[in-house]
Amino acid sequence: MNAIIALSALAILTMFFGVIQKKSVLLPLILSGLIIVFFLNVIEWGTFKHYYNEMFIADNFNIAFTAALILTTFLVFIFSALYYRTVKRPLEDIYALMLFSLIGGITMASFGNITMLFIGIETLSISFYILAGSKKFDVASNEAALKYFLTGTFATGFLLFGMALIYGVSGSFNLQAINSYIIANKESIPTLFYAGMILVFVGMAFKIAAVPFHFWAPDVYTGSPTLITAFMSTIGKVASIAAFYRLISITFLNVHDFSVDILMLFAIATIIVGNLSAMTQDNMKRMLAYSGISNSGYLLFAIIAMGPKSAGTLLYFSISYAIATITAFAVIMLVREERGTFSLQDYKGLAKQNPVEAFAMAVAMMSLAGIPPLAGFMAKYNIFSVAMNGGYVWLVIVGVIGSMISVFYYFKPIIYMYFHRADAHKKIETTKAYKIHILLVSILLIILGFLPGLVIGLL
Amino acid sequence: MLSKYIFYFLSSVAIYAALMVLISKKPIHSVLYLTLAFFAIAGHYILLNAQFLAVVHIIVYAGAIMVLFLFTVMLLNLNIEGEFPKKNIIKFAAVIVGGLILITLIGTFRTYDLEIIKNPTLNQIGLVKNLGKVLFKEYLLPFELCSILFLAAMVGAVMLGKKDIQ
Repeated sequence: MNAIIALSALAILTMFFGVIQKKSVLLPLILSGLIIVFFLNVIEWGTFKHYYNEMFIADNFNIAFTAALILTTFLVFIFSALYYRTVKRPLEDIYALMLFSLIGGITMASFGNITMLFIGIETLSISFYILAGSKKFDVASNEAALKYFLTGTFATGFLLFGMALIYGVSGSFNLQAINSYIIANKESIPTLFYAGMILVFVGMAFKIAAVPFHFWAPDVYTGSPTLITAFMSTIGKVASIAAFYRLISITFLNVHDFSVDILMLFAIATIIVGNLSAMTQDNMKRMLAYSGISNSGYLLFAIIAMGPKSAGTLLYFSISYAIATITAFAVIMLVREERGTFSLQDYKGLAKQNPVEAFAMAVAMMSLAGIPPLAGFMAKYNIFSVAMNGGYVWLVIVGVIGSMISVFYYFKPIIYMYFHRADAHKKIETTKAYKIHILLVSILLIILGFLPGLVIGLL
Repeated sequence: MLSKYIFYFLSSVAIYAALMVLISKKPIHSVLYLTLAFFAIAGHYILLNAQFLAVVHIIVYAGAIMVLFLFTVMLLNLNIEGEFPKKNIIKFAAVIVGGLILITLIGTFRTYDLEIIKNPTLNQIGLVKNLGKVLFKEYLLPFELCSILFLAAMVGAVMLGKKDIQ
């Protein structure tokens, strides 16, 4: 709860600083604000509190995911200095919208009532729609925003209709109350309730970009400004998956047999389609979009299995995915600014001219592919073992095959960077601060790979 | 007794207006008939003692959305009179789709025992006072968070609408 209040204040403060046109103050203000919010959030650890008629539940799950979301936003803001270095105006609107969507994400990780889930999703999504179109004079950005808006509102309609049906049957929006309704009427739940569940699942699957509701993701992620893509593909996914987990673990656990079939369908289709589509991409941004799709398939494993270690593994996977994706996007935006496109060809010989950036990119790609000892490997290993303990052997087999396919496309940029000769590419000049940041982030990814037990043990 | 007559009057107006939306040749007439239908439905809400819902219905539908429709019709100059070309196959498909919806509705009404509420006008839940109590007591936090949602939407509108310096 502290985090939401402090973040709202920070966002409004950000807009005020835009009015007085101080570009140099804005970013340090936001970064220090985020650090304060992080600590305000963490001090509530272990105190299990309900706020406002169970609208907001501050349990450890919420605090851990809120911390992960704030950390991710912090990393994105660090790299925003590079991305917007040529822009003269203070950009208070974009930063404020990013903070607003973070508030939406935190709400999604902490709701105790379906109305809160809806408002959280809307806050997150509406900020994203606008951010996707924040490059106003770029046709691709306009297209991304419009596409995201139209498909997103459509998915929201499904979600809302499902919520209405669930409310109609159970008579409450409260997660616990719906759960007790299910327990009390286990044998005689009307079909309407299941219809509502399916509609809610469709809405949530859209938000995490799971197949077959992923069609918006490649275009939206490719068209949006790169920094915003990094933000959307991490915050959006982590918040949505946390909301999905919360919804199922509190409310639908007693009808989990029904959910499992649908979710398994989603997970298997997502892994197969996501990985196979990523293989053929030559555009780095589009490839990472498909990689994001396939990763939501792995994230669904933890929800399907619903074991004792599910929540912790979900957290660990989310963090490692978010950090690796942001690292990759940070390098992509640098290369794009210098060489003009997102093509894989631009990465030829990057290792020789810009060893630090190439190293960071390689670490990010290997982590996403799941090469030991990086964080991505431990995340995938743990999520597979959670699914295995739940008895979903076939799911794990599909996951492993998908993972093997993914090695192919994740290694493409590494091969281009390290084993191709640079044709006419010059060295890309970067600031020292950027180099340190990107090195630190990639080292964080390596360190995280050695401490999976620490993160998973939190929840 | 009076309310019964009002109910029948409003219902016939609503059905007439809804039919005219479909039958009217000019799009602008359709839009105006739709407004009439919304007003008739708002009257139903008042009969059910849901004053807040009635007012919101008029403000949102008859006000905001209809104005949007009218503007679109006028700006895009869609006010063309006459038959739109309809192929036979489209008519056929429309009949099938409409018929399926009709069958679904009839089937639903047959299986569901609709509860007949005695004296719906005595229901106090639609009054602004009670709604406010629920909103500011039980649903305080979502209500407050909505302000953040609207603030984000407003910031976005300003951001997309204003001129860029560079």
